[in-house]
Amino acid sequence: MTMTAAHMTAAHAAADAAMGAECAMPGAGLSPALTVDGLCKRFGANAALAKAALDGVGFSVPQGALTVILGPAGAGKTTTLRMVAGLDTPDAGTVALAGRDAAGLEPRERDIAMIFDNLALYPDKTGFQNIANPLVIRRMAKDEIETRVAEVAATLQITHVLHRLPKTMSGGERQRVALGRALVRTPALFLLDEPLSSLDAKLRIELRAELKRLQRERGCTFLMATPDFNEAMAIGDTVVLLRQGRVVQVDAPQRLYDAPVDREAALFVGSPQINLLEAAYVPGEGDGHMVAAGTRLAAPAHLAKAFGGGAQRFELGIRPENLRVTEPASGLASGLASGLASGSITGELTDIEALGLKSVLTVTNPAARLRVLVDSAEVRTLRLGQQVGLEAVNTPRMLAFDPDGGRSLLHG
Amino acid sequence: MTTPKLELVSLCKEYDGGDVVAVDGIDLTVAPGETIALLGPSGCGKSTTLNMIVGLEDPSSGDIRIDGQSVVGVPAGRRNVGLVFQDYAVFTSMTVRGNLAFGLEVRKTPRAAIDRAVAEVAELLGMSDRLDARARDLGGSELQRVAIGRTLVTRPSILLLDEPLSNLETAARLAMRQELRRLQHEIGLTIIYVTHDQVEALSLADRIAVMHAGRILQAERTQVICEQPGHVLVAGFLGSPPMNLVRGSLRGTGHGEAEGGGGMCFRAPGFVLPMPETAGQGLPEGTYTLGIRAETLRLTRVGDAGVTGRVALVEPRGADSVLSVVVGSEVLKVVTPATEAPCEGQEVGLCVPAEALCLFDGDTNRRTAFCPRERA
Repeated sequence: MTMTAAHMTAAHAAADAAMGAECAMPGAGLSPALTVDGLCKRFGANAALAKAALDGVGFSVPQGALTVILGPAGAGKTTTLRMVAGLDTPDAGTVALAGRDAAGLEPRERDIAMIFDNLALYPDKTGFQNIANPLVIRRMAKDEIETRVAEVAATLQITHVLHRLPKTMSGGERQRVALGRALVRTPALFLLDEPLSSLDAKLRIELRAELKRLQRERGCTFLMATPDFNEAMAIGDTVVLLRQGRVVQVDAPQRLYDAPVDREAALFVGSPQINLLEAAYVPGEGDGHMVAAGTRLAAPAHLAKAFGGGAQRFELGIRPENLRVTEPASGLASGLASGLASGSITGELTDIEALGLKSVLTVTNPAARLRVLVDSAEVRTLRLGQQVGLEAVNTPRMLAFDPDGGRSLLHG
Repeated sequence: MTTPKLELVSLCKEYDGGDVVAVDGIDLTVAPGETIALLGPSGCGKSTTLNMIVGLEDPSSGDIRIDGQSVVGVPAGRRNVGLVFQDYAVFTSMTVRGNLAFGLEVRKTPRAAIDRAVAEVAELLGMSDRLDARARDLGGSELQRVAIGRTLVTRPSILLLDEPLSNLETAARLAMRQELRRLQHEIGLTIIYVTHDQVEALSLADRIAVMHAGRILQAERTQVICEQPGHVLVAGFLGSPPMNLVRGSLRGTGHGEAEGGGGMCFRAPGFVLPMPETAGQGLPEGTYTLGIRAETLRLTRVGDAGVTGRVALVEPRGADSVLSVVVGSEVLKVVTPATEAPCEGQEVGLCVPAEALCLFDGDTNRRTAFCPRERA
C-alpha cells in the first residue's frame, strides 16, 4: 500500500498552504439581502416596565450566504425573525430588504419564506401534494413542479413518503415534509427558526449539511436561528451571537470559537466547556509567568503583550483540547505539598466521560476543576481517584478575560 | 453465576394483526448493576421495548424475566421497575418533598419511613436544601432530578430512562450526565437507558445495544462497539461523524501474493484503493462495504496520494473541522484540525492509513475477519 502515515509531512505542507489562505465568503461585494439596524421591542401592556426583548439589534445578511442567529432560549432570536418577516412591528429601528426599507410592507409583500419548527400539514394531501402546494398555487408548470419536489425531497431524505398521507408518517418525516414545502419556493430570503430541533440527533447532523448544500447550489439566502452552537458553527458562513436582546458578536464560526468577545461567549460556544481559571500575571524574564490552578505556568507571548508588562489579575481560558495528561503523578503531588507546582498542573481524576473515540476527564485540585479532552485510548491506564499531571499545549490559543466584567482582554 | 437482573427472550410486538412489527425478536441479558443503552433512530422499536419491560404494553410473543421470574402478565405497578420519561411529569403545584414522597404515600408507607427515604434520596441528588421549594420554581435539570428522585425513592430494582435528558439545555444536560454517572457508582442500580443520542449512550452505558427496525444489531461493551462495530448500520450510527462506508468490490491485482496475502484492490466508482496486507487469512473476492474512520484520514497534496477529491463542505466544530470530500461518486468525511482546514472547492489528496480500514460483507453487512496489519 502506497498511502501510509509516511505522508504526514506532505500533509502538513498541504495544510500550511491552506492555513494562510482566506476562503472566499459568499455574497462578498453584493449588497446585503437584509440589513437590520437598531431593532428594539418590548412586550407587555406597560411598555415602560416590560423587559426589552430586543435592545438595539443590528446586523446584515449577505446575499447567497447562510447567516445564523445563535443564542440561548429567550435571547430574542424568534422576535428578530418575526420582525424581518413583518409579523411583528419594531418599537424602533429599521429592517431593509435588498436595500429597501421594509416598513409598511405586508408579510406577503416581502418575498420571504419563514420556516418554523412546527408546521402543520394538510392531512388529506400526500407528501408530494403538501410540498408542491405553494407551486401549484403559483400555477407553475407540472413537470417543473415534479422536478423541484423531487430535488427537495431527495435533499431531505423523504422521497419514500411522497405518496403517503401525513398520518402514516413519523414525526420526523412530517417535519421534513413541512420543511420541504417551504424550501420548494425561491423567495429572496429564507428565515428558518430552529428548523431541525425536533429531529433525531443523527438526522439533524445529516440534514444540516444537506440544507447548506441546497442553499449553496441554489445560491439562496438563509437566516437561521438556533440555540445549538454545534449547528451554528457547522452550517453558518457568519454567526450572529445574540444574548438578552443584544448582539454580542458577529463573526465567522471559527473566530467565534477562537476569539470570543467575553467569558459568556467562550462558555456558550464549545463542548466540553472551556476551563476558566482565576489567574495572575507576573511580569519577569522573557514573557513573564502566570499563576493559575495552584501552578506557575510560563506566560504565552500574546498574553504578555496584551497585559503590556504590568502585573494583572485575570481569568485564564483554556479549551479542554488544549490540555494534555502528562505522566500520571504517583501518590501526593509534590507540588501541592510544597505550595506551588511549576509547569504541570496536578490534581485528582474525579470523572471520566467516555464519548467514543474521545473522552472528557475532570481533574480537581484545591484551586481548580479542569476538563480535559483526550483520546479514549489514553484513558485505559487511568483510574478514578488517582493523581494526574496536566500540561497546557497550543498555548497561543489561551484566552484571557477581565475578572470583573468578563470582557476579553485580547480584543483591541 | 448470578441470576441476570433482566432477560428479554425472543421478544416481539406486532400491531394491526401482524402488519406492523415494532419489535422483531429481541434477545438481551442485563446483569445486576449494569447500565445498558438501547440506541437507535426514532421508530426502531426502543421505546416499545421499554414499554413492555415496564408493563405498559404486552408482548405479542417472547418472555421478559426480572430476577429470573417471568413478569409477562404482571401489572405495571407490581414489577418493581421505575420509569422516567423525557417529560418530567412532576407535580408543579407540590413541593420537592411532596413530589419525592408521593410514590410512597400512595403505597401507604409509614410516615417515618417516608421521611427517611425522602431525606436519603434528596441527599443523593444534592437537593437536601431544596426540599421545600415549589416544583414550579425549579429549572429543567432540577425538575429532571426530582423526576428521577421520585422514582428512586420507591427503590426500584431496575430504573428505566426514556430520553431523560432531551428536554434539557446543553449545559444542564452535561451536568445531568455527570450526575447520573455519580448515581450509578453510588447506588449500583441496574439502568436501561433509551436514547437516539449516541453521546448520551456513550457517556453513561457499560454496554450499548444498537437497534434498527425492531431488532438489536449488536449489543456490546461501549468502547468495543465504537472501535469494532459489527454491522454496517452500527458503523453508520456511531461516531461523530460516523465511519465512512463505501460499497464496492474486492479483486486481486494479480501480483503481491508473495508478500503474504496482499495484492488485493478495493474499487468503487471513481475510487480505487490497494488493500494492505492482512494479519489473518485473505478474503475472497466479491462485494464488500469498506469502512474508513473519518479521524484517521489525512490530507496530503494532490498527487501524493492515490485518492484525490474536492472539498464540498467544511463544518467547523471548534477544535477541529469536519470536511466532506467528494471522491468519485462517494462523499468521504474527514476530520482535520481547525488550523489546517482547507477552503470549500479545494482539491485535496487523501492518505488512507491501513489500520483505519475495516470490511463488511456485501451480503450480510456483518464485519469480516479482515484485520489490517500495521506496518513496521
